[in-house]
Amino acid sequence: MALMEINNMVKRFGGLMAVNDVSFAVDSREIVSMIGPNGAGKTTAFNCITGLYPITTGDVLFDGRSITGQPPHRITRLGIARTFQNIRLFSFMTALDNVMVGAHSWMSAHVWDSVIKSPRARADERRVTDRAHDLLDQLGLSRYAGAYARELPYGLQRRLEIARALATQPRILLLDEPAAGLNPQEKKELMALISRLREEGLTIFLIEHDMRVVMEISDRIVVLDHGVKITEGRPLEVRNNPQVIEAYLGHGAAERMADA
Amino acid sequence: MSDETTASAARATAGAIGHGTLVDPRGLSARTDRAGTTRPAVVRTLAFLRKLYGLVQRYFPQFLIAGIAFAILKVYANGGLTLMGAQIKNALVLGAIYALVAIGYTMVYGIIELINFAHGDVFTLSGFYAFVIAGLSGGAIGSLATHSGIGLLLALLIIFPTTMVAAGFTGVVIERVAYRRLRDAPRLAPLITAIGVSFLLEGLMLVIFGADNRPTKLSSWITGRAVRVAGVDVNWKDIFVVATALGLMFSLGAFVRITTLGKAMRATAQDRSASLLSGINVNRTISATFFIGSALAAAGAIVYSINYDLIQWNLGYQLGIIAFTAAVLGGIGNIVGAGVGGFIIGVISVFGGQLAGGEWSNSLVFAILVIILTFRPVGLFGVDVTTRA
Amino acid sequence: MILTKRLLPVVGVMGIAALSACGTSSTSSSSSGGGGGNLASCQGTFTVATDLPLTGGDATDGPPVEKAAHLAVTQALANKTLGGCTLKYVSKDDATVLKNGHDPAQGAANITALSGDSSVVGVVGPFNSSVAVAEIPIASQNHLPLISPANTNPGLTQAGTSASIDTNSLYPGVHSYFRTIGTDITQGEILAYVATKELNFTKAYAIDDQETYGKGLSTFFQKSFTADGGTIVGTASLPGTTKQFQTQVADAQSKGAQVIFFGGTSGNGCGILRSQMPASIPELGGDGCQDNKFITDAASNAAGAQVTSAPDASKLPTATKFYSDFKSTYNEDGTESPYTPYGFDGMNALIQAIKAVLTANNGQPPTDPMTFRDSVAQQLHKLNYPGATGTVAFDKNGDTTQPGFSLYTINGTAWAPKQLLTADASGKVTVAS
Repeated sequence: MALMEINNMVKRFGGLMAVNDVSFAVDSREIVSMIGPNGAGKTTAFNCITGLYPITTGDVLFDGRSITGQPPHRITRLGIARTFQNIRLFSFMTALDNVMVGAHSWMSAHVWDSVIKSPRARADERRVTDRAHDLLDQLGLSRYAGAYARELPYGLQRRLEIARALATQPRILLLDEPAAGLNPQEKKELMALISRLREEGLTIFLIEHDMRVVMEISDRIVVLDHGVKITEGRPLEVRNNPQVIEAYLGHGAAERMADA
Repeated sequence: MSDETTASAARATAGAIGHGTLVDPRGLSARTDRAGTTRPAVVRTLAFLRKLYGLVQRYFPQFLIAGIAFAILKVYANGGLTLMGAQIKNALVLGAIYALVAIGYTMVYGIIELINFAHGDVFTLSGFYAFVIAGLSGGAIGSLATHSGIGLLLALLIIFPTTMVAAGFTGVVIERVAYRRLRDAPRLAPLITAIGVSFLLEGLMLVIFGADNRPTKLSSWITGRAVRVAGVDVNWKDIFVVATALGLMFSLGAFVRITTLGKAMRATAQDRSASLLSGINVNRTISATFFIGSALAAAGAIVYSINYDLIQWNLGYQLGIIAFTAAVLGGIGNIVGAGVGGFIIGVISVFGGQLAGGEWSNSLVFAILVIILTFRPVGLFGVDVTTRA
Repeated sequence: MILTKRLLPVVGVMGIAALSACGTSSTSSSSSGGGGGNLASCQGTFTVATDLPLTGGDATDGPPVEKAAHLAVTQALANKTLGGCTLKYVSKDDATVLKNGHDPAQGAANITALSGDSSVVGVVGPFNSSVAVAEIPIASQNHLPLISPANTNPGLTQAGTSASIDTNSLYPGVHSYFRTIGTDITQGEILAYVATKELNFTKAYAIDDQETYGKGLSTFFQKSFTADGGTIVGTASLPGTTKQFQTQVADAQSKGAQVIFFGGTSGNGCGILRSQMPASIPELGGDGCQDNKFITDAASNAAGAQVTSAPDASKLPTATKFYSDFKSTYNEDGTESPYTPYGFDGMNALIQAIKAVLTANNGQPPTDPMTFRDSVAQQLHKLNYPGATGTVAFDKNGDTTQPGFSLYTINGTAWAPKQLLTADASGKVTVAS
């Protein structure tokens, strides 16, 4: 059964159709990639799914229920976490605090508990701190726990963002170009991490430009061009689809490639 | 052939110079600047001023501390230890109140980048809340406070939470009604709205409580001298004001650093969308910020009432601007900065008043505002925003 | 009205008869009380007005004075002081919400309106010197007599006595300004006398509220205090919005001040200052401090303040009737402000002057309103009227010929007069009672 279903999603900015009638589904424990040339509407689709942008028309179903129109923090609490293309950590907070902020979503304590420091809030905070340390530990970031996020090396900032997303206890993780700016070694580690997350039961939906990464880890690939979904399928199918080649390399490219 | 093409053809034949080229050939020739020639006096003076500006900008905190140290020593030289001590005491008391109000400005600015001009009036309104609460059931709380030590403790335990909660909700309502809809509007819109809210609150207080200053009768709560240091009478009241302010500020600092809500506030201040996608309810976090800022202003209003025994509809107007200066001095958005800024402004106001004459106190404070905005717009602690809320 | 019309010929005949009787028996036709013969034929209604601060922070200052002035008009009508002529009374408030009390701009607007009404022959007011500065030039140009019950700034009438007032420019037209109270020069002399001779202080610290009145009084006090052998150890000039005086109090203490003088009003911090002073140091102030607001603001520290204000008339035998009439009319004692009987005397002085004009003009009002107003001013200069507060008479500047002030201290929860002091032209102060 599909964990996340996008039905006829449209996002219009004035006269620009950023996302035009896109539908697809992501199954549970699947790794699905979304590819497409720059400006194809991939990040816009992410923003619509996570509630940052209101959807013009269409529907997003999560676990069979519509989440369209819900505020972002509630969508996050339902189990959709994401990272950003340009890393958006809280740079003036420590790595540990960044992860703890992510853990905010599943805390049972309310504002008042927090103010008066009720036993519930204390228990919560202990759990959150333990969990945050655990996450940093597993992602090899524990020695940076006390460092400001902005002081971390770039590759580790990417990983810290994933740690923050994981702290929200997601069911599906949306990664926006997680491999961007990483060196080959880091890319390898990233792919291992993504596979491990899937092993542990997480569903992954990512935007990625690096075809090697995409082809290697994806179960399925969705291709967007000019806001329209042009195809969807297994890596090998997509790789040989003339429409995809055309979208990336321009008109006539498919024939030329076939000739070559 | 159209006229246009004829014209361009004519230009092409006319040669390189003319409107037909993209590169102006005159720009291609070698050039010398005027550095070799002797510079006129004006230019030299300007260069010197620029250097001076850079120097002041770079060593701003040092200049400020040196100035304050000089003022304190000057007062010591003029009036002796007793006068210096008495004025330090006055500066701390005044600074404590400024600091409590300044924190509200800084927190709100930190989280939604709005200079909440109504904050000074929330301070005044809180003073009236305390006034009304203390006067309930025929001033029962007041008689409790003056009855005995335990009575005083009970009275404080009643007046502080009730007034602070009432003020907190006032702040929340103001944000919900006046600012939330304008959160993504151009910066000027909420700013003007804030001024409007300020006028509205002042008008309401004027109508309800009258134009005159009202005695709050809170000054009789805490009386007597605690110690006498170097000929300076330090009253319990003075200690209470400063201790309350410091206590609340440290609690707030710890709150923002340690608690989840505090982290949510800092996260929201730094990146609102990332916070949303980390599961933070940004609206509620902003409400909480207004709540806390207003509650601290209320604490400031209570200690003000205990110290000065009066409240007036327009009290928060000037006090608010001074507290805002303190927030800017500390680095707007920075909680520790606002606290320290409050005390520094207290010192500047009192020692400046002592040395230059009381009529210059406010002028000096606002001169500081101009100087900060010129030389160091980020304030003393602006760069280090570790505790930014 | 109908009654008046029907009676008029009768009264007229009687008047002529009386006049002829007087004419044959005596030449002193203008003697007091005897003028009734002329006045009975008087025809017309003139307007007299008050311009006082009635609302806001000054609500304790103006209203009793206004009531006293109104009472004078009511009594004059009842007694037919002007014979056949009647008076219309208009009350103007020079306080605004904006200023939370007296507002010179509002005062100027009031006087402009009154000047434009040709039936108005005189005004009792204003209360505050800063308002007077705005009003006097308008009144001067329109020849309108102003009788202030409370202006104490000497610069209003005496050139060169106030740094902030250009006296000559106040009178572009005629000199039509009078006052029933002494000036701050006298008040300063008396306060300095109290400080040096009665309290035996040699070191004083002076604070003012930056306003015309407060700055002026402070200057005169400092001058007299120094002349009396004292030393001013420090001064401060703070805006009226000031709520914190600790810096100045600490400064004063460190300089060994035995007394802190406040030149200003309660609305500008006289009582708040007191509340922030140590009880061991007394506060001295002028008439701007002598009100209930001071007592409220100073709270538990109110005792220890000594202020001068208008001479206390409540014990004077001449004022007994005024106070009993005031009480029966308004059901108030009228003793809260010492200025109350001065409003009564100011209005009576105006009415007496009008009466003298009518009498001198054969019982009829001058046809030209400007001539009428000028004549009233001339008669005011000549006036020697036994009022509730004593003899009401003005010198060539329009100042009272009886400058004196009472010293008040806090007795329980109210101001109580301690003694009356007067000063002569050379500045020598004597204790009158």
